Amino acid sequence: MMSNEEPDKQETSEEAINPVVSMIMLRMRTPLIILISVYAITILGLLLIPGVDDQGNPWRMSIFHALYYVSFTATTIGFGEIPYALNDAQRLWVLCTIYMTVIAWLFAIGNILALVQNPIFKKALNENRFKNQVSKIHEPFYLVCGLGETGYEVVKALTNEHYRVVVIERDQESMLDANIHDLQEFVPYLIADSSVPRYLQLAGISRDNCEGVIAATADDETNLKIAISSKLLHPEGKVACRSDLRAFEENMRSFNTDHVVNPFHTFADIFSMLLHSPSLHLIFDWLTGAPESQITDEPLKLDYGRWILCSYGRFGHALYQKFLEHDIETTILEPDEAVYESFKQNNMDQAKDMILGTGIDEKSLKKAGVESAVGIIAGGNDDSNNLSTIMTARQMNPEIFVVARQNLRHNSELFRRSKADLVMQPREITARMIRVLFLNPLLNEYLSMAKKQDEEWSNIVISRLSAVVGDCKPHVWTAEINTKKAPAVINATTLGRTVNLNHLTQDPVSRDHKLKCVALLLARKGDCQLMPDDSAILQSGDKILFCGMREAMNSMNWTLKVISSLNYVMSYENEPESYLWRKLKQTYKGKERREIHR
Amino acid sequence: MNSEKVLFSFFMILALTLNFGFFIGEMDDPLHHNVYELFAVIVVNLIATVLKFGDRSRLGPMLLATSLVALVQLISAAIVWTFAIHVQQTGLTPSVMVTIVSLSGGAVLANIISVILLMIETTMLRR
Repeated sequence: MMSNEEPDKQETSEEAINPVVSMIMLRMRTPLIILISVYAITILGLLLIPGVDDQGNPWRMSIFHALYYVSFTATTIGFGEIPYALNDAQRLWVLCTIYMTVIAWLFAIGNILALVQNPIFKKALNENRFKNQVSKIHEPFYLVCGLGETGYEVVKALTNEHYRVVVIERDQESMLDANIHDLQEFVPYLIADSSVPRYLQLAGISRDNCEGVIAATADDETNLKIAISSKLLHPEGKVACRSDLRAFEENMRSFNTDHVVNPFHTFADIFSMLLHSPSLHLIFDWLTGAPESQITDEPLKLDYGRWILCSYGRFGHALYQKFLEHDIETTILEPDEAVYESFKQNNMDQAKDMILGTGIDEKSLKKAGVESAVGIIAGGNDDSNNLSTIMTARQMNPEIFVVARQNLRHNSELFRRSKADLVMQPREITARMIRVLFLNPLLNEYLSMAKKQDEEWSNIVISRLSAVVGDCKPHVWTAEINTKKAPAVINATTLGRTVNLNHLTQDPVSRDHKLKCVALLLARKGDCQLMPDDSAILQSGDKILFCGMREAMNSMNWTLKVISSLNYVMSYENEPESYLWRKLKQTYKGKERREIHR
Repeated sequence: MNSEKVLFSFFMILALTLNFGFFIGEMDDPLHHNVYELFAVIVVNLIATVLKFGDRSRLGPMLLATSLVALVQLISAAIVWTFAIHVQQTGLTPSVMVTIVSLSGGAVLANIISVILLMIETTMLRR
């Protein structure tokens, strides 16, 4: 039962004594006992030593007086020798009292200060505070592990849509860099290693309102561990993982991680889109919220010809596969001999495609034939090398299409000035994809269906979208037809009225005007319709993907939820909502009918 | 020989015994209840309470609670005594004495419970 022994049974986190309080109490024991003993001894001394009063009669202090005297001596207040002057015997004892008590107090205070500085105590305090903050969240929330650039973008996107987020980040520096206090919602955070399941538990992973876990740390192994832990601790939640290496990606998919985002493959897909349909690429970038992307931009046009690929890493590899698929001639510049040799061995037919060279100087670029190439990809993991490649290539061939990989966000200005045609940031892409997965999962469906369409179709879509949204940032949302999200529509359909898409897109304030939005996808069980017509009839269970202005979404919410708005839009008369009015209406209608009969 | 255990038990039992010693005797007779003994009782109870701080076993909070109860009663008794003699100058009338002794009687009960819990915990540890 002594304080330092572990309890016999494992206590659950709710029953355990608050560790912070328990730590403080433990530390305070020795100083407190010393204080009590010193007080007791000094009081006793003062009681026993005989003194004299002002008339010279013998007088002894009572316990009360002694306590009073010692109190103001120990706290160095020192009122004086009251009620009577002390004789020398008493003064001798008071001398001891002064030194003993003051030192005892200093010792006690010093102990408390040391405790507060103790890193273990601080950690316990932080964990406690974090646990309390998380327990106060009652709405659905997401757990984001890792607050690097990717993590921060995801957190920002989620909080902008007013979802709650909880963050675990290992590095104190990254936490300070990211401005977590500037977000739209309060985000509790903890500085800890997210691969330790205990911290995931503290962050509320097993709670019912945890909707999903996003593993966005820089280390694939940690992400894998987080995915496994989430699937075991909270099987109902969605898990999205970031993965750079194929081996980890396959591992993650093997136990049903809901979404694995590999930025290099994602970019290779995006690039492939660009090769085969530039308009579709523009739609993709704009709808998923790529920064500085406007629907009114010109789609990037690529000439047919030979491409140069600098550096055969993961990025280069993924892109090379796409080039092969599209039958595009490629020259790869790779500085590492070992990679060069293994490539030659593994790819006998395309052996001529790879050249040994760095790609950052004129000589190697000339050897790769940059003057006759139609495009160049600077895909290394060092920003300075990539920038150097871009600048040298542009000098030698000003018309060449430049694709650059930007690794660090703080080099954005440099990449912008370098006038590269397409800049790819792996972290930004990961964040974007995760954002789409959690906020608008229907968008993925739409985009994969759109990939099968041709350029003509994409152009039509672009013109429709730019007519509605123009230069503003698009807002993409999903309207679900069910009793919780669209009670008015469900109500109307049960009454036998037909509600179609046209009704949703009309302004509930003035039904002759259309809301600024475009319906992209109508998803019904087992059947999805791209760019549905206004006349499409809505059923319960439908989900419609819209793109437009945010105000349009707010207005549409009225039509979806409030029956009187829906009635207005459908030009129906309003049913009276209160009992009294209904009764009055019935009698009025009855009177009318009787008059007509007459 | 775990010296910490010895110390812990020593102070708890000392608290109980001193308390009982103070309590026993005629309730209204100040000659039967020595003020120095009350002083010792309070000091030892304080030390015993502090020793119970930060105990993370199952019975820890209960033990701390009983100690705090005893302290409350004893300090109230001391305050009543101080009031009677120094503040109101009425001296130790029988009614004041009875109040003091009954409060210390409450503290005796709390200390008894404490010791019983201590015994329970000790026997529980033996497997």
